[in-house]
Amino acid sequence: MLDRKIAPLTKKIDNIEFICPRELQLNSHAKLFWMSDVPNQTSRIDLFFDAGLRQDRNIIASLCSSLLLSGTQEKKSTQIHNEIDALGAYFDIGLSHEGVLISIFALKSNISESFKLIYSTIQDAVFPEKEIIEVVNEKRDKFKINLSKVGFLAQREFQKKIFFNTPYKELTELEDFDNISREDLIKFHNKHFKNGLSRIAVTGALLEDEINEIKDLCTPNCISKKLSYYTNFDNKPGVYHIDKTNALQSAIRIGRTMFNKTHEDFMDFSILNTVFGDYFGSRLMKNIREDKGFTYGIGSALAETGGSGYFIIGSEVGIQHKEASLQEIQKEMKIIAENPIPEAELSLVKNYILGQILKLADGPYAMMDLYLSVDAYGLNMDFYNTYINRIHSITSEDINKMANKHLNWDSMTVVTSG
Amino acid sequence: MAVVNTLYDVGARDENEDKTGFAHLFEHLMFGGSAHIESFDKELQKAGGESNAFTSNDITNYYEIIPAQNIQTALWLESDRMLSLAFTDKSLEVQKNVVIEEFKQRYLNQPYGDVWLNLRPLAYEQHPYRWATIGKDISHIENATIQDVKSFFKKFYTPSNAILCISGKFDSDSVKEQIELYFGSIPGGLKPARHFPAEPHQNEFKSKSIKRDVPANAFYYAFKMSTRKSTAYYLGDLFSDAIGKDSSSILNIKLKKELELVSEINAFITGSLDEGLFIIGGKLSENTSFDTLDKALWKEIESIKKKGFGKSKLNALKNKISTAKAFQDQGLLNRSMNLCYFELLGDANGINEEEAIYQSIEHGDLLSFAEQILVKTNCSLLKVHQNAG
Repeated sequence: MLDRKIAPLTKKIDNIEFICPRELQLNSHAKLFWMSDVPNQTSRIDLFFDAGLRQDRNIIASLCSSLLLSGTQEKKSTQIHNEIDALGAYFDIGLSHEGVLISIFALKSNISESFKLIYSTIQDAVFPEKEIIEVVNEKRDKFKINLSKVGFLAQREFQKKIFFNTPYKELTELEDFDNISREDLIKFHNKHFKNGLSRIAVTGALLEDEINEIKDLCTPNCISKKLSYYTNFDNKPGVYHIDKTNALQSAIRIGRTMFNKTHEDFMDFSILNTVFGDYFGSRLMKNIREDKGFTYGIGSALAETGGSGYFIIGSEVGIQHKEASLQEIQKEMKIIAENPIPEAELSLVKNYILGQILKLADGPYAMMDLYLSVDAYGLNMDFYNTYINRIHSITSEDINKMANKHLNWDSMTVVTSG
Repeated sequence: MAVVNTLYDVGARDENEDKTGFAHLFEHLMFGGSAHIESFDKELQKAGGESNAFTSNDITNYYEIIPAQNIQTALWLESDRMLSLAFTDKSLEVQKNVVIEEFKQRYLNQPYGDVWLNLRPLAYEQHPYRWATIGKDISHIENATIQDVKSFFKKFYTPSNAILCISGKFDSDSVKEQIELYFGSIPGGLKPARHFPAEPHQNEFKSKSIKRDVPANAFYYAFKMSTRKSTAYYLGDLFSDAIGKDSSSILNIKLKKELELVSEINAFITGSLDEGLFIIGGKLSENTSFDTLDKALWKEIESIKKKGFGKSKLNALKNKISTAKAFQDQGLLNRSMNLCYFELLGDANGINEEEAIYQSIEHGDLLSFAEQILVKTNCSLLKVHQNAG
């Protein structure tokens, strides 16, 4: 007879096989990675350019990345997009402080053609005035929409305080959209796209010759010096409020300067972060959503930058619950620093994180992403094996220690909007 | 990894019009503990798994992503909540509050967040698609009682109303035994009958204006189209890609790039099981009036109906669909959900036939679709006006 009260036996995850892509040197600073073992027709090429927001005014970096496929001497933007469509290809352009990531997706039978088309279009971009105006208008409209969201307002203020006194604190303002010249874009493009390629990642069962062709095409545009990132962040603690009339909810952002994967506390802090706010059963979710019903969701994360990182808690709560939510978050920080983590909870979190790593290592695309996210910090796949060992060995005291060291309310930047 | 996906054939369309938002509220309660298990999430996380769910107007779908060696845990959990829920007052009270905050966060406290709350009742007069999954009004959620919740469960959460799909790398014989063990003893129940009021045929243009604190005037043209099972669904999907999916689509080139009337324009279909909607939506440029856009848009639609858009465009659209499908198919979760969905449509194997249907579409099919659907008497227009100052 089946006893439904008894949980089935589970098997622990103790061994995950991490596969590294092949590595080809493009020049002394840039590399190409290739994961060829893809058991289907799909393929992806990622291009990393050192053309992030930190290189110039936000608006210039942002417009430049948006206008990469907007025209060359020979082709107008409509023709370019029609040609990409004809190959059944998709692309995606992402921008952060630290760089621009362009991903090209296509069936492997079309990936080389798609790559050549998109790559040469990017390199030969001429930034037609009309296209600039169009994209500026589009971005201005989106920006205005964002300004009416409490989450966006809180995030802006948070950015100002978390990156206090550094160039990263710069925010885009409405007047920036009226203050752009085509020459600025061309200058930025010359410096950071024509000479700024830092990594290429190819995932797909391409032919050796195709890889060589990609390599040869890209090498002239590779970066000629080591990437350098800002490292000395120091958040400005305190409580800040951005008013927004008629809001039904308040956005909350709380955090402080932290670190990235290269720091000795990274692994322990990541595990602490999971217990505290990074999964559905976290302390924050259990208290503020599942017990109090103040919010639809609350979470915390450790966000990395090239040379540093920060911790952030984010939520949108009913406007009448703002103060109570802040108090509960503060309370949870104290509890996790001062009280042992119950054995059952710690072992649950350990299993949960191991399951997440297994998921993040599932399939060639996931494996490539795992690899890229350690390579970016000069680390290799050993990082994950060390992390798995640390998950097995970490104790309740270790977590308390981390919380005592890094989760002090008084060191936090607390921003609310609404 | 493995995925255990469970689709229940119940959505917002199955709700009583005085108790809307129920299917979705119920989805939240499914995580609040079941007859023999205090915490669903805890047990799943212990086994290294994670879970989520979504509710649409048509279905409610639950999934667990779990290491393949622990599939049994997911079956144990999923079967126990199908057998019976814990139904506590506290859980109901809290989830009502959570859903109310979700209502505010996603629908009320966002610019254009309430568009669908207004567009649905404009486009549909009788069919329960006239309300959104979150519900017509916050008060419906506030007033939900434990008795309501229990009868909803009894009616819809039975094996005869569910489709289960398990995917991943595992020994299928032993998993089949486990399915039998956990689900075999749950009473099958009766498949609930559906009797919606039939949506009357639309034969006149409808329009509504609302005023909101938004940064730009916005427009939403909604045309009634076929059910999901009809091949016209595929025509609508492809046609919406052609005119309004991305920057190379026809309306983008004409109305945005050439005439500069809009800052944004898209076309898409809702793809619902019953009569769906074909939507053309966007935001007006600063100095464009609704009337100017309206004239230009209809002129363009008529021109496409007459001239079409050329063979190379159609081939490009099909190529893009092939690529998108190949990428979707390599995700386990996606495939599991799709298998359940096609089974709901009548045959799981439909997942293998879809691509061929798209490839067989001809230019003339698309134009006759447009001729039939994109006409004024079949249209409902919602205009969102910017509040002055």
